[in-house]
Amino acid sequence: MAKTYDYLFKLLLIGDSGVGKTSILFRFSEDAFNISFISTIGIDFKIRTIDLDGKKVKLQIWDTAGQERFRTITTAYYRGSMGIMLVYDVTNEKSFENIKNWIRNIEENASADVEKMILGNKCDLEAKRQVSKERGEQLAVEYQIKFIETSAKDSLNVESAFYTLARDIKAKMEKKQEASNPAGARTGGHQLRNEPQRKPTSWLSRCSLL
Amino acid sequence: MTNATIQEIEGIDDYWGPAFRSIYEGEGHEAFVQQLDERIKQHDKEIEKLCNFHYQGFIDSIRELLQVRSHAEELHAEISNVDANVKDTTDSLCAKAEELIRARRVELNIAATIEKMELCLPLLTTYSKLKSQVEAKRYYPALKTLEQLEHVLLPRVGPYKWCAQISTDIPRLRQAIQDASMADLRDFLENIRKLSPQVGAMALKQTQDMLGRSLASIVKNKKEGISARESTGPQCPHELVDFSPLHRCLHIHSVLGAKNDFIQYYRAQRKQQARLVLIPASVNLHDSIQGVKNYLNAVLGFFILEEHLLSAGAGLVSKDWLLDMWGMSVTKVASTLRTNTSLITDPTLMLSIKHQIVLFINTLKCYGLPTDPLPMLLQEMAEHYTEVLMQRWVVVFRDILDNASFVPIEVENQDQYDEVMDTFPYDGEELETQPFPRKFPFSSSVPAVYVQVKEFIYAWLKYSAGLGLCGARRAAAARQSASLLLSRSFTGCLSALFRRPLPLMQLVQIIVDTQYLEGATLCLYEFISNITGSELVTTQTAGSMFQAARDDAEQQICDKLEKKVDEFLDLENYDWLLVEPTGQASSFVTDMLSYLSGVLTSLEQLPERARVAAVRAATNRIATRLRNLLLDPAVKQISSGALDQLNLDVIQCEQFAAGEPVPGLKEGELLEHFASLRQLLDLITGWDWSSYLHDIGIDGGKYSLVTPRDAAMLLEKLKEAEQKSSVFSVLKKNERDRRKLLDTVLKQLKQLQNQDGS
Repeated sequence: MAKTYDYLFKLLLIGDSGVGKTSILFRFSEDAFNISFISTIGIDFKIRTIDLDGKKVKLQIWDTAGQERFRTITTAYYRGSMGIMLVYDVTNEKSFENIKNWIRNIEENASADVEKMILGNKCDLEAKRQVSKERGEQLAVEYQIKFIETSAKDSLNVESAFYTLARDIKAKMEKKQEASNPAGARTGGHQLRNEPQRKPTSWLSRCSLL
Repeated sequence: MTNATIQEIEGIDDYWGPAFRSIYEGEGHEAFVQQLDERIKQHDKEIEKLCNFHYQGFIDSIRELLQVRSHAEELHAEISNVDANVKDTTDSLCAKAEELIRARRVELNIAATIEKMELCLPLLTTYSKLKSQVEAKRYYPALKTLEQLEHVLLPRVGPYKWCAQISTDIPRLRQAIQDASMADLRDFLENIRKLSPQVGAMALKQTQDMLGRSLASIVKNKKEGISARESTGPQCPHELVDFSPLHRCLHIHSVLGAKNDFIQYYRAQRKQQARLVLIPASVNLHDSIQGVKNYLNAVLGFFILEEHLLSAGAGLVSKDWLLDMWGMSVTKVASTLRTNTSLITDPTLMLSIKHQIVLFINTLKCYGLPTDPLPMLLQEMAEHYTEVLMQRWVVVFRDILDNASFVPIEVENQDQYDEVMDTFPYDGEELETQPFPRKFPFSSSVPAVYVQVKEFIYAWLKYSAGLGLCGARRAAAARQSASLLLSRSFTGCLSALFRRPLPLMQLVQIIVDTQYLEGATLCLYEFISNITGSELVTTQTAGSMFQAARDDAEQQICDKLEKKVDEFLDLENYDWLLVEPTGQASSFVTDMLSYLSGVLTSLEQLPERARVAAVRAATNRIATRLRNLLLDPAVKQISSGALDQLNLDVIQCEQFAAGEPVPGLKEGELLEHFASLRQLLDLITGWDWSSYLHDIGIDGGKYSLVTPRDAAMLLEKLKEAEQKSSVFSVLKKNERDRRKLLDTVLKQLKQLQNQDGS
């Protein structure tokens, strides 16, 4: 049976309640925007397949509830994530300050080599801005994380944010693959089973196959 | 002797014969002659003596006579003189007398003329009166005068030329009067045409006043209105119209002997007018209430006037004729109103029109005109009104639902809390004690819809007001309309809502919301009973009013879950040639199961039924998809390692299913979805062909859900995979046996398959 994708990346969106995680995901998956705010309950996900350097990459993006009361549900999903988007609201100082807490959360719960990215959302609301772009960039430099300002409403940088993160994950993965498989004979075009980092047990099957 | 004879002769005057005879015969003649001479001598002597004696006197007398002669002459002169004098004077007198005579004659003539003239005078005054009456358009008196003139005065006067002229004038005048009165009638007709709307309006107003009359208002009017009343104009609507031209005309025509013709003419004219009245002035009555008002006023005015004429009893209008006309008209009115109202989409306009019609009907009753088929029309309009209202409320509901977020209402303080509690009947005992912010179980669309339904009921009841229905019937009809509104319009809006994909949580909230709305219908009924003042009827339960909508929502929830399951299963990445299973479930399965259990816990607000349905749908989908994966024709080979991996994943799912993810399930119920997959996996992994082939065709067998076709298919795939892997290794004895068995089983299965197929 032909596989419908070459890679499957699990991404996670985290950040304070109301910063626009669902809107960003909605924009990315449906290319639409809904002004009304409906807070996410628990967790939800969307899937979108993108084309990256000729490879079909399936992105399973988990959208978490920002509200504190769902924290236990959402942290369970950190573990399996390969990329995490930290979202804050440029019109909300508090949400920006909380990014540090969210990073600590990641450090505690996610795998160490997870790719991260900081998104300053709602950059269309220039008049209400509380957090300057420079501060965002500074924070990103501090943690050595990529940073981009987005607007789900105006569809600004949402695509490129996901593409950048996906590309980084892919690069990291291919690098690891090459490192673990110096022969490099069978890189690329492989399914997730060739992804040994997440499934140590799959080494067995790989060995027997060879 | 001789002496005696003389004496005798002397003594006797005549008859002397005998005396003469005696003398003649006797001898004494000489004696006698002697005596006679003697006697003569004596008489001579006496004559002489007498002459002597009277001589003097004689002389005197002559003298005197002479004197008289002079005197006479004197007198004669005098008399002539006098005569001349008299003659002079009498001449003027005579002239005067003649003048007098002429004057007298003139006088007599004058008197006669006056007498004649006096006879003519009444005729002439009458004639002039007639003229002035005609001029003043007082035709009836003019006619009377004419008659008097013709029959009394003219014959009395006589054959004058001018009389003849007058006589010839009379028919002409009569005709002129008739014509003029006809013109008056036309003016009158035109006039009442203009006035009849006012008449109608006044009658309607009076009816309204009368309907709105209560003891208090009468007393109030009495206090205020006595002075006002005196100054007011006509008390009765028909007083607005001056009927005198009509009555005059009628009189005139009856005098002229053309009463019947006149009545016929009048009725024909009015019939034509009625036709005009019945065609509304403005083409579209449904544009404004004024059009309807004008129309009804005109019609009503028309018939009030006719009715008045009927009761006035001049014979112009007969009861039959009026009823006939009315019967024709009322049907026309009803059909005109029907066509016009059927186009109206504005409830307020409908209400005003209904009000007008009710007033119209009441007024008709006052005037004793039959009202059919207008009540019928009102009934039809009521249905249309309900339709119009529903259409309007569909927009309202759609608006509410389109803008609804379907998140439970959260209130920060007591004011907000009270606001919700005021608009929606919710038993908030539990909530009352909780600290703020308090959270209602329903979303803001619930109170919004509830308020709107109330608004609808208000609006609906507005129509039924004044129709003379009793409270219980109104309430029943209102209940019916309200539940129709909810079950049809609102449910329709909900279904429209479900046409676009909604987030799961919103679907859940919608289901919860509909339950609260259903719960509130009893309060709506109470509300209806309160305003209609009727007994609360609770027999009609609205329990399943939104069941269809809920079913839709549940279906969508199921669809959504199935879609999510599909998305997970699309991530499936089995290596069908896997030699050794990983010992762990595939990550998409674990993700899926944890996601599902998360979602199912968040569905706890849902009614049990819905949650059970959702979890059933999800598990069934998982089972079906996994089974299809196994039997997918695109997968040509499946190694036993891959089969084990899949088996491991299925076991995970079965554990999930067995773990009773939601309450209310029958024990093992969810596992049944996996039953056929389980049997297939058990059969293949357990290599239990003998019992399979033995049990085949027996109900309740261990592998009763596995068809020979499926078994053969999977076996084929297994065979393919084994053949592939055996390229590298030399077949051992038991493997050879196994291969042989496999072929045999396959052959048998094919046979069974063919049997089934044939």
